[in-house]
Amino acid sequence: MNDLALRAINLTKRYGRFTALDDLCLEVPVGEVFGFLGPNGAGKSTTIRLLLGQVRPTAGRAWVFDSDAADVARAHRSLAYVPADVALWPQLTGAEILHLQACTGPGVDLAYRDELVRRFALDTSKPARTYSTGNRQKVALVAAFATRAPLLILDEPTSGLDPLMEREFRIAVAEARDRGQTVFLSSHQLAEVEAVCDRVAILRAGRLVEIATIEQLRGLHRAEVTVSYIGVPPPGLDLVPGVDTVEQVSPGRLRFSLIGSPAPALRALAAAEVTALAIREPNLEEIFLDYYGAAEGAR
Amino acid sequence: MITRTVPSAVGISVPALPGRAVTRLAVRQLRRSGLIVLVLVAALPALVASTYTSVMADPAAAGSIAALAANPAIRTLFGEPIALEQAGGFTVWRVGTFLAVLLAAWAILATTRITRGEEDAGRWDVLLAGRVPLREAVARHLGAVMVVPVAAGVAVTVVLLLAGTDSAGAAVHGAGVGVLGLFFVAVAGLAAQVFPTRAAATGTAVAVLGAALLTRMVGDGLNGFGWLRWLSPLGLLAVSEPYARNRIMPLLILLAAAVLLAGAAVAAAGRRDVRGGLIAVAAGRRPRLMLLSGVGAFAVRRMLRPLSGWVLGIGAYYLLIGFTTVSVTEFLTANPALAEEAARAGFTALGAVEGFAATLFALLALPVGGFTAVRVSAFVAAENSRNLTLLTAQPVTRSRLLTAEIAATAAGAIAQVCVAGFAVWAGIAATGGDLSLSAALGGAWNTLSVVLLSLGAATLAAGWAPRAAAFAGSLPATGGFLLLVIADSVGAPGWVRGLSPFAHLAPVPLTAVDWTSTLIMITLGVALCVAGVMGYRRRDLQG
Repeated sequence: MNDLALRAINLTKRYGRFTALDDLCLEVPVGEVFGFLGPNGAGKSTTIRLLLGQVRPTAGRAWVFDSDAADVARAHRSLAYVPADVALWPQLTGAEILHLQACTGPGVDLAYRDELVRRFALDTSKPARTYSTGNRQKVALVAAFATRAPLLILDEPTSGLDPLMEREFRIAVAEARDRGQTVFLSSHQLAEVEAVCDRVAILRAGRLVEIATIEQLRGLHRAEVTVSYIGVPPPGLDLVPGVDTVEQVSPGRLRFSLIGSPAPALRALAAAEVTALAIREPNLEEIFLDYYGAAEGAR
Repeated sequence: MITRTVPSAVGISVPALPGRAVTRLAVRQLRRSGLIVLVLVAALPALVASTYTSVMADPAAAGSIAALAANPAIRTLFGEPIALEQAGGFTVWRVGTFLAVLLAAWAILATTRITRGEEDAGRWDVLLAGRVPLREAVARHLGAVMVVPVAAGVAVTVVLLLAGTDSAGAAVHGAGVGVLGLFFVAVAGLAAQVFPTRAAATGTAVAVLGAALLTRMVGDGLNGFGWLRWLSPLGLLAVSEPYARNRIMPLLILLAAAVLLAGAAVAAAGRRDVRGGLIAVAAGRRPRLMLLSGVGAFAVRRMLRPLSGWVLGIGAYYLLIGFTTVSVTEFLTANPALAEEAARAGFTALGAVEGFAATLFALLALPVGGFTAVRVSAFVAAENSRNLTLLTAQPVTRSRLLTAEIAATAAGAIAQVCVAGFAVWAGIAATGGDLSLSAALGGAWNTLSVVLLSLGAATLAAGWAPRAAAFAGSLPATGGFLLLVIADSVGAPGWVRGLSPFAHLAPVPLTAVDWTSTLIMITLGVALCVAGVMGYRRRDLQG
């Protein structure tokens, strides 16, 4: 039995001379909640459409569990999908769409579906034509979570949801994780990814620039350290490896950024009479902007 | 004093006439199909008028065609033949109604597509957030569509004048065609304000067109009901009598009705919500879970509503044909010279019930073939608008998705063909004629080979060039029919005529089915479907 829920090898998609996705290699183990980040047009949706077999790769291959992603009849028996911009049959009501999805899908837990409808406060008697963006998204989310498929592929699933519904979404993801489902979550909501994901990949201009756990990402990025001291400031701090942009905030107070292990900086600080030390780890947004900003600068 | 000013800055351009951009947007969406319609509307009268001299070379033939006017059934089906002794009058009788219906159908489809269709798809939300209000946007879109009927009317007049026909008749016929087009733009425009969905708006406007055609037919055919024609837009065209009395009054009435309806449409646009209609959608309803159990069932469910419209229209038309068959055939049997003339004009063996039925059954391939093209292009449209996305993420292969659609469409086509056969049989039986039900059904089924070609061509396009699905699907039936008519009119070489599937269709039930050509067409149709499914499996989904 394969212990990978998703696997992509050298996955490439070109549209004419435009390369939407370049040589993506990715492995998502079973049971993981995997975040997929990137600015607009980075190739996130293209990747998902390739994984779903909706578009054909120019090169490379992808697998969903043991099946080739192109063999949709087999691969889709173990996944459920929420598209980024949900379009529903305008003449069908929410209940009718959920019924259609249940009849054609990989199997559904009807009791859990009813519970999700209640929790997401979805009025399923309305025709889809009258649904707002958020309500259309709720229909797709309820249909996907109710399947209990071992893999959930969610493409920006909360972009139209209000904060209350976003909380319900996080709870549903946590429930899915507890049941052992794998979640592949593409998102712009960095706080959400930070809250629910074990590992993230960052995509930029069709290329994978980083793939790591959130803890590892934090270690790779600048933390902000604030030191209060009495008397002479710690000498030679700006020469310590990993320390950058030392600034005097006020008399007796220093702030600097730190990348990597804090040990050399702590040794340097030991030379002074330190009264207080605060280390603030970067949030995902800062990490994301770091990657994106650096890449922009390098262009 | 506080004055509100628009902040102005260097580098900000504020176009003085934002409405013109809206007009340009409307024109962009119309120009291709509008040009095609314009060319057809100008070319057909040109062809018929220029071949008039050769058809009418025999004075006896001219006299016998004129005698057609006496028969109510002929009048029902082809319109009242007047002024057949002139090229202009003959042209009006031969293609006038066809042109009017073609232009009206285009006007309806184009109007609802660029108004309600765009609004329904959400593309007007951004447009209307600009400086152009809804009322003006609707008015400008209607105005843009109306250019085509006006141009078509002018083109018809110019073509008939160039063919050397009487100038008053040319002007009245051209004006009639143009005003009729304007009327149906206004009808569709109003329907697009009343109903919140494109399908409902189009359906209502098409129903008005169908009712107009039937009213005209009854008014033309039944003595004592001639006044009914004053109630039908197509009837008003008939009572204007181009090349005979050249009456202006009916056209003015039609123009007034068009102006009134267009005014009502613009006024209604000012009174409704964007994305809403005058009629509100029900806020909620109990789920109807029938035919949602799988991909195939769902394909049938999506087809049922449009199918009922097509069945109603086709059934009514062929019932009317059934009712008139006995009268026409008896009349033609009593006038052998006339029957011979009809044969020369392309209507073979009209003197026998079987021959008459066979001729009109062949026409059945046009609407039913059109139905298959419309259904396949609706499937492609669902892919483009991403309605299909959730289904393509289910454990269902692409071939299964498309095959389900093909199967449902084929079943719908068979249902329509059966209804037509049954309606003709019932009409003939009710008027005391003699045609067995199996012969009537056989004649109707015979056209299925052409319908299958249409379905195959549309499917092939769906697999390899999805944007061309509607066009490709209409090539075998509508294109083939036009090709045959034009080839016959200009005396084109045999191989050109042979390109049309209609050239290979035996006149069933007059003769037996030509199994060789039927099997060839069926094989070709199936091969096109298979090739289309293969392309659909391989290509990237759009949307």
